[in-house]
Amino acid sequence: MDIKKLSQWGEWSVWFLNPLLLLLAIYSETSKTNDVLLWFGKLHPLVLHFPIVIGIAIVIYFIFFQKNKLEENTEKLILVGNALIASIVAILGLLLSKQDAYDTATLNLHKWGGLSIALISWLLIYTKNISTGYKKIMGLGYLLVLLFFTHQGALLTHGENALSIPAPAIVKAEEVKTVDSSLSVYEKAVAPILTQKCVGCHGPEKVKGKLQLQSPELILKGGKDGNILTSFHNGEALLLQRIHLPNADEKHMPPDGKLQLTLEELTLLNKWVKAGGNFTKKISELAKTDSLAILAMAYKAPAKGNGDTKNTAPDLKEYNSSYLTVNYLFNGSEEIAVNFFQGSFYKKEQLTNLLKIKDKIVSLNMQGMPVTKEDLASIVQFTHLKKLNLNYTKLALVDLEPLKNIPSLINLSICGIEVNQNSLTTLLDKSPFTEIHIWTNHSNEKEFEQLTAKHKKVKIIIGDNLDTEIIKLTSPIIEQDSSIIVTSLEIGVKHFLKGTVVRYTIDGTEPDSLSSPIYSKKLHFTKNTVLKTKAFKPGWLSSDIVQKTFYKSEIHPDTIYFVTNPDKKYPGTGAKTLTDYELGEQNFSNGKWLAYRDTTMKFVIGFKQARPLHEAHFNAFVDNGAYIFPILSIMIEGSNDGKQFKKLNEAKFPSLEKTEVVRENKSFSCTIPGEAAYKYYRFTLLNLKKLPKWHPGKGTPAWIFVDELFLN
Amino acid sequence: MNEFLEHGLNQNRRKFLSKMSLGIGGLALGSLMVPGLFDASNEEELFANVLPHFAPKAKRVIYLFQNGAPSQLDLYDYKPMLQKMHGQDLPASIRNGQRLTGMTANQAKFPLAGTKFNFAQHGANGGWFSESIPHIASMSDELCIIRSMYTEAINHDPALTFFQTGAQVGNRPSMGSWVSYGLGSENKNLPAFCVLLSKGKGNGQGVYSKLWNNGFLDSIHQGVQFSSGEEPVKYLSDPEFIDRGDKRKILDEIASLNQEAYNNIGDPEIVTKIQQYELAYRMQMAVPEITSLQNEPESIVKMYGPECLAPGTYAANCLLARKLSENGVRFVQLYHQGWDSHGNLPAEIVGQCKDVDRPSAALIKDLKQRGLLDETLIIWGGEFGRTNYCQGALTKDNYGRDHHPRAFTIWMAGGGVKPGVFGETDDFGYNINSLPVHVHDFHATVMHLMGIDHERFTFKHQGRRYRLTDVAGKVVNEIIS
Repeated sequence: MDIKKLSQWGEWSVWFLNPLLLLLAIYSETSKTNDVLLWFGKLHPLVLHFPIVIGIAIVIYFIFFQKNKLEENTEKLILVGNALIASIVAILGLLLSKQDAYDTATLNLHKWGGLSIALISWLLIYTKNISTGYKKIMGLGYLLVLLFFTHQGALLTHGENALSIPAPAIVKAEEVKTVDSSLSVYEKAVAPILTQKCVGCHGPEKVKGKLQLQSPELILKGGKDGNILTSFHNGEALLLQRIHLPNADEKHMPPDGKLQLTLEELTLLNKWVKAGGNFTKKISELAKTDSLAILAMAYKAPAKGNGDTKNTAPDLKEYNSSYLTVNYLFNGSEEIAVNFFQGSFYKKEQLTNLLKIKDKIVSLNMQGMPVTKEDLASIVQFTHLKKLNLNYTKLALVDLEPLKNIPSLINLSICGIEVNQNSLTTLLDKSPFTEIHIWTNHSNEKEFEQLTAKHKKVKIIIGDNLDTEIIKLTSPIIEQDSSIIVTSLEIGVKHFLKGTVVRYTIDGTEPDSLSSPIYSKKLHFTKNTVLKTKAFKPGWLSSDIVQKTFYKSEIHPDTIYFVTNPDKKYPGTGAKTLTDYELGEQNFSNGKWLAYRDTTMKFVIGFKQARPLHEAHFNAFVDNGAYIFPILSIMIEGSNDGKQFKKLNEAKFPSLEKTEVVRENKSFSCTIPGEAAYKYYRFTLLNLKKLPKWHPGKGTPAWIFVDELFLN
Repeated sequence: MNEFLEHGLNQNRRKFLSKMSLGIGGLALGSLMVPGLFDASNEEELFANVLPHFAPKAKRVIYLFQNGAPSQLDLYDYKPMLQKMHGQDLPASIRNGQRLTGMTANQAKFPLAGTKFNFAQHGANGGWFSESIPHIASMSDELCIIRSMYTEAINHDPALTFFQTGAQVGNRPSMGSWVSYGLGSENKNLPAFCVLLSKGKGNGQGVYSKLWNNGFLDSIHQGVQFSSGEEPVKYLSDPEFIDRGDKRKILDEIASLNQEAYNNIGDPEIVTKIQQYELAYRMQMAVPEITSLQNEPESIVKMYGPECLAPGTYAANCLLARKLSENGVRFVQLYHQGWDSHGNLPAEIVGQCKDVDRPSAALIKDLKQRGLLDETLIIWGGEFGRTNYCQGALTKDNYGRDHHPRAFTIWMAGGGVKPGVFGETDDFGYNINSLPVHVHDFHATVMHLMGIDHERFTFKHQGRRYRLTDVAGKVVNEIIS
């Protein structure tokens, strides 16, 4: 093939591969790649030496052979070839980086280094016309970049001390074979923890901080800050300091992003170091109740993970359902919390299914589930359980006896389960619990005091004693929105608390607990009535009185029209607002009110047939804070032709005093003496034209708000 | 070699462009090799794998928001100096240029107003409590009282919005939405974020649905407001003559139509819609069971007060909050209106306290009793504090207080907080002497308690990554147990 064509093809490939490389590099942290492609990453070590060799050759050529240059096409072919293979190596490297846990800082350096090598190689293709001096400088720069960043790669594969003088022979941590108390605490628990979570970086592969942790000798040797088990800077042992630092701290171990120590492991290491950090002391030599011995015996080395925080723990999807959540406590944790919801959907298979992960469950919430004794037998197998919630489960206290076999179970909630002193004493006897939540009715508080005194180790949390406290009941609720009786109105009264007796009166007197009638069925009112109700219940203070006035409105006019229009802001629904049987309640801007301020309220009602009226009754709103004052006077006139009116009566009402603060519905009525019948009646309602001096709005007119007219 | 080929191989514009196209080809291959590379939404899926960042101390939050800003000086922050100097002017050196609201900025004088209430110390930590909140005071040993909160806003709406969303403008996701986005719901039959409203008789300020808005997050994270009537979630029950089987079929059909629309248009809100229908379907079963208060034993009713049976009261909402929370709702947000006592404070605050005192304390007791307090975080507080000087006329036994952002008190209880009294204000209760806690710090701390590193918890929107704490916020380690 023509050499020129070959280099042309190569150049095209370079132009294709480098953008691809750039893209992969930028998104390599956030994206997932499929496994087949990842396999190609394994070729990285195979080809990486080519660009190093060719690159160095190019540097030598650039620096020393500019006087006897190669033939132009050959030179280009070499440069193109170099650029091509550099970009291929970089892409493969990126794929490889995703397969294994590497030290992040070095990896990053190497990644961007490799990328820059590929890009510089690309650039070198186009140096044909550059002066010799620049070429030499470029060559030198290229060499430095090449050597420095490829060395980072070497560190990744061969460990931090790749170029240091070989250390003494490395001893691989022995796998723990047997699980019995004849093992030392170190063999049983400490070594497995270190192997899984620390040796990756402090071990034969990498020796970060000059520290190796795979054998007792090397641990004792310590790292660059010296012994890690003895006091450091007069504080705790260095090992303990580092593992207890907050996660965000740069010196926290294991570093952010690596698999973290569990609470159990933290406690274990802590106790082991504080007990002297002994490598040979056997578990059997410790007292059985020694917490270190208990922890060490209970410790089970987790299945070996590859150190990647995202994939170590098995997926829990299969255990979850709409009514059951099974989750790790947090990302990187191996401890699982289980919550059941909604008892009516509970199935015991869901619980037995969890037996597959029984060693990892530390918290189980079964509040309100129909838990049976059979289910308890399953729960007892969750040997690492720390917190159990069996509130309102309908179990009996004696059923819980087997729970004492879970050595780690310290927090138990059994509200709603019947307890008494004897049964509780039996349950607490030789139990692992340190906190127990129960509900009692306090009928025998003294006994519980004794019980608490007897079991000092256990925190017994009982409910508040409310038996002696007497609380006021809430008022009954009158269930009728309307206050207007046309012919008859049905009224219900209710109270939310069961067992409450509601008494009522309709004669204006206050209801009492003895003589007033007890509300039992709906009431029916046919005339103006003031209903007063009050709730009573033994052990409670009786409620406040709640009252409501119902108005009879037997006469409904055939027409109604304004003589003067209401204020534009409060037009209601026109003149019929007054006779729509709908009260405006406390909110005067809800569109159910008619309001007048600058004009006097005047309107006319009409009947097809002349008829007498005896009483007109207005419902109005008064709120002096909002400049709404009582109606000053009501004048009623009668007419048969709608033109000539005759005054029938006028009622006057007092205004407000300075001290009064009013915000309420008020009624104003005017009677009509005699039996004279008219077709038309005209009403004139006067408002206060000048607010008094003491009012903030002194001198300006007051509002009147009217929402309903009742005629009898 | 002929000249044409020579020419063709020279670098020129056309060559350059054709090489560029190769580069674009490389990009295209990259997107094939790495599926989902250009998907904007995969960030969210990533969170599901990495949250919580570390072991959470609280799994759930109940936020008892006292809307309108209760007066710290009449409840928790006891200042005998104010009583001593009652009626005297606030020294300018103390005010130190603090801007005032339009309501008192024009006052000629700022007469100090000592509290009218008696204070006493309660519990082992020596916290001071006003006589108007005896039940909260009795829980003193459980409370983590922060007397040194401060905020930036001086008016209700921005201050509320700041507390709820971490910004004063109303377009960011609410705290509860962030938690829903990060941690999801424990119980798949209930929304992760529920909102309950109640109203006291005091001077009220509005609450708006923007406070529990999802902002730029997916709308499935919006707070679900429970209404105060007999039916807490509106439109949840099926119409007559439609049984659950029919409903299932209807939903399946709608879902397949929606899925088709999504395939064509690709609007993620369509997927949200499908999820929302599904959640509503499951809620149809769960909500009536959970929200029914009728079966609560009388001891519980007594503890929360008998108002707890009347839907829509603060007491009922506290009880409901406990029930939702124990059923796995991550974030229950209550608002109780009526704390904005610009005038007539002594009378108004008594009414407000009567509403909230017993139920707030009962909620702590109830959760503790059930063994749930250690995993539930309760927060009690308003959007800012109130001034130490009187707004309007100061009389012997009546006064009002304006808004005060520089120092106020909130408390927390339960999941992961240390009981005690933290932070201190000066003798006038005006400035903070120690441990200032900004709203951002408060958010950072609550996130921390939930197992979330607030700096790593972001959402990319319009080209930038947003956090609840924006670019600020420090975890207040002093209050974490």
